[in-house]
Amino acid sequence: MRTRIAGGRVIDPAHGRDGIGDVWISDGRIIAAPPPGTVADTTYDAAGKIVMAGAIDIHSHIAGWNVNTARLLLPEFHRAAAARPAATPLSTAGWSTFATGCLYAQMGFTTVVEPAVLPHYALHAHLELADIPIIDKATLAVLGNDDFLLGLMRGRDGAAAIRDYVAWTLDATRSLGIKVVNAGGSMALKANVRQFSFDDVVPQYGVTSREIVKTLQHAAHDAGVPHPLHVHCNNLGMAGNVDSALATIAAAEGLPLHLAHLQFYGYGKEGPRGFSSAAARLAEAVNGAKDVTIDVGQVMFGQTVTISLDTLRQFNARHQARPRKSVILEGEANGAGIVPYEYRAGDFYNAVQWAVGLELFLLIDDPWRVFFTTDHPNGAPFTAYPEIFALLMDRDRRTQQIATLPADAMAVTTLPAITREYSLAEIAVMTRAAPARLLGLDDRGHLGPGAVADVAVYADERDRAKMFRAAALVFKDGELVVRDGAVTHYRWGRALGVRPERDHAIDQRMTRYYEDRFGLSDAFLKVTEHAIGRPQPFELVPCAR
Amino acid sequence: MARAWIGGKPAALERALAEAAGLLAASRCPLVTGLGTDVAGARAAIALAERIGAVVDHMDADVLLRDLTVLREAGMMLTTPNEARLRADTLLLVGPSLEQDVPELTRWLGLDAPRRHDAPGERAVVRLCPGRAAPPMHGETRIGRDPDQLPTLLAALRAGLAGRPAGKTGVSAKAVADLATQLMASRFGVAVWSARDLDALAIEMLCGIVADLNAHTRFTGFPVAPGDNAIGVLQASGWMTGVPMRTGFGRGYPEHDPWRFDGARMVAGREADCVLWISAYRAAPPPWRGGPPVIALTTGDAALGVPPAVQIEVGWPGVDHDAVEHFAPLGTLVAVEATRRSETMSVADVIGRIAALSSACPGEVATGSPTRTRAKNNTETAR
Repeated sequence: MRTRIAGGRVIDPAHGRDGIGDVWISDGRIIAAPPPGTVADTTYDAAGKIVMAGAIDIHSHIAGWNVNTARLLLPEFHRAAAARPAATPLSTAGWSTFATGCLYAQMGFTTVVEPAVLPHYALHAHLELADIPIIDKATLAVLGNDDFLLGLMRGRDGAAAIRDYVAWTLDATRSLGIKVVNAGGSMALKANVRQFSFDDVVPQYGVTSREIVKTLQHAAHDAGVPHPLHVHCNNLGMAGNVDSALATIAAAEGLPLHLAHLQFYGYGKEGPRGFSSAAARLAEAVNGAKDVTIDVGQVMFGQTVTISLDTLRQFNARHQARPRKSVILEGEANGAGIVPYEYRAGDFYNAVQWAVGLELFLLIDDPWRVFFTTDHPNGAPFTAYPEIFALLMDRDRRTQQIATLPADAMAVTTLPAITREYSLAEIAVMTRAAPARLLGLDDRGHLGPGAVADVAVYADERDRAKMFRAAALVFKDGELVVRDGAVTHYRWGRALGVRPERDHAIDQRMTRYYEDRFGLSDAFLKVTEHAIGRPQPFELVPCAR
Repeated sequence: MARAWIGGKPAALERALAEAAGLLAASRCPLVTGLGTDVAGARAAIALAERIGAVVDHMDADVLLRDLTVLREAGMMLTTPNEARLRADTLLLVGPSLEQDVPELTRWLGLDAPRRHDAPGERAVVRLCPGRAAPPMHGETRIGRDPDQLPTLLAALRAGLAGRPAGKTGVSAKAVADLATQLMASRFGVAVWSARDLDALAIEMLCGIVADLNAHTRFTGFPVAPGDNAIGVLQASGWMTGVPMRTGFGRGYPEHDPWRFDGARMVAGREADCVLWISAYRAAPPPWRGGPPVIALTTGDAALGVPPAVQIEVGWPGVDHDAVEHFAPLGTLVAVEATRRSETMSVADVIGRIAALSSACPGEVATGSPTRTRAKNNTETAR
């Protein structure tokens, strides 16, 4: 069974390919072009269209207790309005897992990472992910506010024990990488600490935020996890917090480190309101730190809800909730905070935030190190991506929007002066090739032989937002799933995870820990295949060692 | 192995399944309720309801929705019993139903054992209006007695915290003022309540007290939830449809309306013309008499008063078969292994079989239960 996507402009930066040609698929994988004259079983005409690998989203809150609590908190914002198409039940059900998979697939996305899974909630997250159709998924396990890790650090247990604990956690929770969220900040909040910075000490544990980040950075690296430690820094959203991000970037110290939603840390204290863009300084630091990657967390105007494991930040932001209601959970480790918010185009602060994100995109030189997130749904829903791509590719479009925003806000940013426009090839790097490399997914994000046959075909529209909003064709594992921007049917993807080697002495230690602290078997947090209820829900990704 | 009854008389499983499928197919307004089941059963039930345009309700929706109403109108600060056990220096136990609702509560909160070596100091236990029958707890302070005092007492306490005067509450003003002082002085306090004892306004008042205390110290809350995996079912409903139970699919998409899709009201008003009643953790009967034909999926062969039109025995989740359910002490979903594995079918199995007998639908979303027994039963629905 050979499929040919014929005559499109194939943009595959991983192989330096950008030109008219064919893409061939067989048995769910990309194959080399067969000898001339070979007849395909099915041919799709892509003439005049753009052909790319399926897009990969490295940071989008799409599943788990906190996402589901946000749904229950805000029924008024996601009413279903359309009867479902016969072949795709619940795909129009407001904010459901089913709608999530369909909306991503329609834009040509085929792999999405849920970046905030507390180990105790991993099964819940995976059950939701299993009900997201079409796309493949992955989770990042969140450590750094957990008693076990901080206890190991306090007890000076050494790097090997911590590396084994990281490996055990990844295995138990079926995760692809490790994230740390305001390292130590949630623990500090439980002790009524209300501001917490990189060199502050976690009460009762005597370790600093910096030490937690460095410890986890080394542990993930030493365990051979392909994705570097994914860091949500301290002091998110506060004026002057650029110093937190700069300190974290400097602390990378030659080892890979990923900083999430950097836009939320791009704030200075200049200007008449004591709030300004510090994106230029931040971009300069990123440009100079070759081991650091970032994603943006772009803000777009409209109603949304912020969903975060940064309990300290969400606790402090609860009085700014729009509408005025929020959920703050003090749970094991991080807990969670859900605070609805509306970004308003006429609001000085929101307009600065919008500009900071775009400045970061445009001032960081290397598209291999900057990723396009909105930190869905924290800056904007993921459905805003096409509009962001269009803004990046079109200076006039930016200028038009800048003209509608408060002039005093634009005056404390550098955005109006920036002329750069992203090319389609750069968009392909940022949305395909680079994310695959960052996550260690060798068989994704490109169209070389052997790659998973995840392919998106777009009409070459002048309006790039329109083009990226509705793919002409999308193939997942070689199967056509979207035609003319509409999902044709469901198929069920997999959750990608790593399982680094470990000394199994840690297993007995975890069993003892859970019996002592919780009076429970540690079996409860191990995510098993048969608990998910769909065939082959997981796929193992190789580690570096 | 599955026992089944039609009109109260033993029947072959196949016949009972066919009868159930026939009743659902003939129904113009089916109601899926009870919904005491594991997560797989909830997923299967909701998927079936979506497919046949049914309404989804739950046997404890009244109580669940009281907390949810406050959550979605005012917000909440929440914690888990386990976090309360490890960290709380003050427990504010509200109302008389806590121990009755959750006999394990004292164990969850660590009130039945010496404190851990790393726990913060002494712990104060304050009980608000525990009723006359409540057995005393070690070291507790009681304020108020009768539950009907609760709304005014909570209002007076909130006023006291804000330094405002309050009217009579049935409790001395000094006791209320002392309690306000004590709560302000706590380092990490947890309020525990059951929505059985409080209406939505009183719950909102209590949550407001928690929120106000956080201006100075740390305080949070834990609502005791109904049993029968109600929270697990709520979670599945949330991710599948975006909304809680009391949701109708008659228009082809989920619509949540706590009044319109109240199953008891729909039965009383003769709107529902067929009921799929699920109670797998016990054999709870529907809370009404008479009404439309009932297809009952329950554990054992318990008589349900008037014999249902169809009754099919299902396994007890976590006993007869592996299951995923909500585990309240940690506030999360966990996988439970069967403690007495049997061949009894799970709710998801039975619904899968019924769905398979209905007309084939290409986009079926449910895939049956996660149990290891599923393969033997060969009950997967079309995928």
